[in-house]
Amino acid sequence: MIVLENVTKYFKVKNEKRYILKNTTLTIPEGVNLGILGRNGAGKSTLLRMLGGIDFPNSGRIYSDKKFSWPMGLAGGFQGSMTGRQNVKFVCRIFGKSQEEIQEAIAFVQEFSELGKYFDMPIKTYSSGMRSRLSFGLSLAFDFDYLLIDETLSVGDKHFKDKSKKALMKKIEKSNILLVSHAMPTLRELCDAGVVVHNGTMHYFDNIEDAIKEYNRINQ
Amino acid sequence: MKRASFTIFKAVVHALVLREIQTRFGSQKLGYLWAIVDPMAQIIVFASIKALLFGGSMPGIDYPVFLATGFLAYDLFKHITLRSMDAFKANKGLFVYKQVKPFDTLVARTIIEVLITSVATTIFLCIGLYFGFDLEVKDLNMVILGFLWIALFGFSLGILFAVLATFYENFAKIIRLIFMPLMFVSALFYTVESLPPIARDFILLNPVIHFIELIHGSYFPELETTYVDFTYMTFWTLIPLYFGLWLYKRSEQKIVMS
Repeated sequence: MIVLENVTKYFKVKNEKRYILKNTTLTIPEGVNLGILGRNGAGKSTLLRMLGGIDFPNSGRIYSDKKFSWPMGLAGGFQGSMTGRQNVKFVCRIFGKSQEEIQEAIAFVQEFSELGKYFDMPIKTYSSGMRSRLSFGLSLAFDFDYLLIDETLSVGDKHFKDKSKKALMKKIEKSNILLVSHAMPTLRELCDAGVVVHNGTMHYFDNIEDAIKEYNRINQ
Repeated sequence: MKRASFTIFKAVVHALVLREIQTRFGSQKLGYLWAIVDPMAQIIVFASIKALLFGGSMPGIDYPVFLATGFLAYDLFKHITLRSMDAFKANKGLFVYKQVKPFDTLVARTIIEVLITSVATTIFLCIGLYFGFDLEVKDLNMVILGFLWIALFGFSLGILFAVLATFYENFAKIIRLIFMPLMFVSALFYTVESLPPIARDFILLNPVIHFIELIHGSYFPELETTYVDFTYMTFWTLIPLYFGLWLYKRSEQKIVMS
């Protein structure tokens, strides 16, 4: 369960407050895979970052006793001058994995991300697709209650997309996902419920279809 | 199961230290060499200047050893403060993991600098032994205290500067400017005793000089720590530390988001 309590979040643009959430109270029930919809700039990614604990509301609070992944996006939290392998090690260490678990994780990520010899090259030489493959593979090596995914699925070639989706399907047997996406088929396939972020409010729909309908409505 | 925050802190600092070692020195081993070459070059340059321009040396003291002790401590302080100041920006990408707090990057960088200084000191000692310099120490405990204290002093200033540099763009530039002449007023190539009395009063306002005098005075049997003001050093350590931590606590979230 994730609870948002009187959450207000805004950005100051030229001294004008642009609201993403305005005094929003909402409970996301246990065990749902949630799609997050909204137009560009509506604040979907900010919402995901707030859930991941690396962005903070201006007032109100968000709480949950679940374990969240880092938001997986295109940028990814990688150190450019370190290799893929070194970055995987780093993330394993901050999550307190043992030496043995680190080796397992490395083997898994190396296999999954299909980076070949790039796995031992600095991240700054990667394309954005390669970065997100690494980021995605890495997140699968951990056991989170919620995976925070920001459009990651839309990168890579068809082969990798299919593989990611399959891995994700398997993952959500045990964990849940919070997915930001503009791809309706993906949302339909992976999510049960949805929220639509629009004009400083956030509407929760038990059924992803209703969320998609609402999203289509505001897009007209 | 959630881990205790201290366990996370330890794991993160450990990971950051390893990461920093990898990135700082990079794939080229030249980086490691630089940690030794840099202070070594300073010592050679200033020892030569002294010998050529002023002649003679301090009675009973091997001047290169005098320079080495001072520069190792001074560089430790300077590197901790200046590298801390850049730590948030340099590690920004890692704040995507909520376990990594900006504060941890300061601790990691300080640990790295202490490690580098330890290695450099060991190498200097070996070189000193090889060339037959007089390496006798009057009060080893006080010398170690001096090094640890100057590291803490650097950390105190570092945390304060790091927060201020996040919010004021030009702040880091000003600090760097201040650091340029600092080397010349920190008793690195002379003792406070050797200065005219009127200059002493002024120069002792510089907190760094007290640390260097403490180290020199405790290292060499021929020197004293007469001018070291422990109260002054304590103030300069605790006040920036207090304000630094207070400001940091208030702005931690902003630093993560920035």
